[in-house]
Amino acid sequence: MNCQRVQELFVDYQDGTLPLDDAASMRAHLASCPTCQREWSALQELTRKLDELPAEQPSPRLREQFYAMLETHQRDLDAPSPFALARSRLDRFFATLLPDRPALQFAFTLALLVVGLFAGARFLAPGPLTAPADDTARTELAALRAQVDGMGRLVTYSLLQQKSTSERLQSVLATMDLQNPDRKVLSDLVGALAFDPSLNVRLSAVEALALHTDDDLVRAGLLAALPRESAPLVQLAMIELLASAREYGAAPIFEQLSRDENADKNVRDAAKRALATLRTPLPAENQPTNAQSPAPARAKTA
Amino acid sequence: MPPVSTSLEIPVPSVASCVNLPDTLEATDHELMIAVRAGEVARLGDLFERYQQRLYSFFLRMTNQPTTSEDLVQVVFYRILKYRHTYRDEGKFTAWIYHLARKVAADHFRKNARVPTPADPTDLHAHPDSDPTPDHQATNADDLQLLRVALTRLPIEHREVLVLSRLQNIEQKEIARLLDTTVGAVKVRVHRALKELRGVYFKIRRESAA
Repeated sequence: MNCQRVQELFVDYQDGTLPLDDAASMRAHLASCPTCQREWSALQELTRKLDELPAEQPSPRLREQFYAMLETHQRDLDAPSPFALARSRLDRFFATLLPDRPALQFAFTLALLVVGLFAGARFLAPGPLTAPADDTARTELAALRAQVDGMGRLVTYSLLQQKSTSERLQSVLATMDLQNPDRKVLSDLVGALAFDPSLNVRLSAVEALALHTDDDLVRAGLLAALPRESAPLVQLAMIELLASAREYGAAPIFEQLSRDENADKNVRDAAKRALATLRTPLPAENQPTNAQSPAPARAKTA
Repeated sequence: MPPVSTSLEIPVPSVASCVNLPDTLEATDHELMIAVRAGEVARLGDLFERYQQRLYSFFLRMTNQPTTSEDLVQVVFYRILKYRHTYRDEGKFTAWIYHLARKVAADHFRKNARVPTPADPTDLHAHPDSDPTPDHQATNADDLQLLRVALTRLPIEHREVLVLSRLQNIEQKEIARLLDTTVGAVKVRVHRALKELRGVYFKIRRESAA
């Protein structure tokens, strides 16, 4: 037996659960090994001390608290909640109403099932299918189509309220395919432009709105959104769009932007160019104005 | 050595039927608990009288905080009431109550995980520095106090196995079931815990003597 093995047996030896032959060989080892003797006596001392630890008594507070808790609990049990009372009455009501022998219960269930089947067959029989007249069918179809169209629009609106950026982006792009989007779609686009947290969504909204700059709502929305915008990319896109749409109402905003020291340099330059564009008379009715054309940058600086 | 005998080898009916028992023969823990489960809540009082001291000393050895220990005993009995429906017919009450007590202790230690287990200065009270010739009695009392502190310095699982086996005198077989492990593993743990306790104990004794 080595020392480690012997020391592992100490606990069992103390408890008196060690088999006799193990105990004998342990004692033999102990007699010749000073290390294990030290270990053994230290363990003995420790165990003796552990045994000496007095059994402390809890204070009377514990007993008081316990019986107080017990009493509260007993009271709760004695006064069942009104809900439980009502339930037990309900249970009793049904108990008197329904048979209590399993066989009868089964028969009752079967009877209910049969009655149900008969009633279903009698009252829910499908009426004869009649072929609708041609014109009614046509009007119904038209109504149906209108309904489907309406639903398509509804889907577009709700998509714009979606949470994920890519979904919002997708729905903004989807509006570009609509030939004549109604005012709700346009105002949603303007809302996206003004409030959407994602730069990409706002940028696509500008792009989508570019197709509808002749609409007053769109112009007003752009004018309102531009001063709020802080991202240079979106600012640039809006400035160019407003300039090319010849929105004269934007001039004060352009002026302010062109002087704003905090604005991006490109934005300031674009604002100056846009101002210039607004000041040059429209050369021809249908010639698109290019905001980036090298117009003389007559910045009206103080 | 064995704790309060709780398992008489009589099949106990799950319905409380202690009325016929003569006064001289006390109901077993199991019978009492079955009665409590059946709604005779007041009989928990008897169980309280039987176990409060043992539970208190279990928690006291685990925490070394008297007031906290009383609170934890109260929590155990509260849980007995609350979960009395989960007590099983074939259950053994001692095992169940220690199971609950261990959980209560674990909850306590988890809640107070950031507070290191008591190094309450009053726990290391007046050691005989001031008294150059302490009489034997005082030294011994002081040693015991050091031992208490040493116990609380052990990791919880070692402290627990020591308290259960050495101070609560629970059989190793029972401890193994409580800890959901084997008797062999319990033995190893007791062995290691004793060794560790010894190291910690002599260390603080040296420190406090210095």
